Amino acid sequence: MTKWDKYLIFFIILSSIIGFSIVRSDIGKSDYKYIKIAVDGKVIKKITFDKNMIGKTIDIRTQYGYNKIEIGDGKVRVIDADCPDKLDVKQGWISKPGEIIVCLPHKLTIEIVGENEADDEIDGISY
Amino acid sequence: MNNIKKLIFLSLLVSLGLAISILESFIPLPFIAPGAKLGLANIVILSTLIIFGYKEALTVVILRSITFSLATGSVTSLFYSLTGSLLSLLAMYFVYRFLSKMFSVIGVSIIGAIFHNIGQISVASIMMENVKIFSYLPVMNLVSLFTGYFVGLSTLYTTKHLKKIFNL
Repeated sequence: MTKWDKYLIFFIILSSIIGFSIVRSDIGKSDYKYIKIAVDGKVIKKITFDKNMIGKTIDIRTQYGYNKIEIGDGKVRVIDADCPDKLDVKQGWISKPGEIIVCLPHKLTIEIVGENEADDEIDGISY
Repeated sequence: MNNIKKLIFLSLLVSLGLAISILESFIPLPFIAPGAKLGLANIVILSTLIIFGYKEALTVVILRSITFSLATGSVTSLFYSLTGSLLSLLAMYFVYRFLSKMFSVIGVSIIGAIFHNIGQISVASIMMENVKIFSYLPVMNLVSLFTGYFVGLSTLYTTKHLKKIFNL
């Protein structure tokens, strides 16, 4: 370990903390949020949070594989998948706008979007 | 060292890297960011870079990525591992070649781990067409500080003994 190694470690810790706080501040505090599910970059489903939706599960079957999503009270998680490592299942619940679950083998992203960053208006619940 | 000896040793290194990668995929780090790995194969690559040089390390990196995707059977993982390890090798080479007075092997290894993250996350965000995947980067970099330190330390001891064997 030279002193430059220590500088490097310090710099990386600092930049990670800065990056982390930027990510945090990017996460909006808007009340209105919805779930955006995309496969291979194309949005396939948008789901708004609703009391009727709590506890509901959604199957997503694509050419890449199968994922099962559970919706909770303002949060969402993946409960089952047939990808080899099941990292999306291990990640657990996400609830804040800007948070994202990624399933690399299936090219699937599940994202929570806040009102202010929505780029198009939603006409209704598509479920 | 004559050519045949070198060839045999390089192929041994490739198979060692492959075996380590497969073993490592059985022990994920479940508690932190998704996709976080120990990066033990970097011990092999960094040792090759130090003992032999850039060209040989490049060969080992490319062969290891191809054989690993053949072994696991997924084509998409080839892009991730190839881009990540090529970028990390490039960064490690430049730091080791030009800044080796400043950084020890541990620093080189940490830089390699960081650039491996950057490469993989870039590929992921291009493939998924979603820039938000970069929000994983700070967490992954923090994790790779520890794994990179460990890998660097291991490489330090490995190369010490390898240099003795080859009388370098």
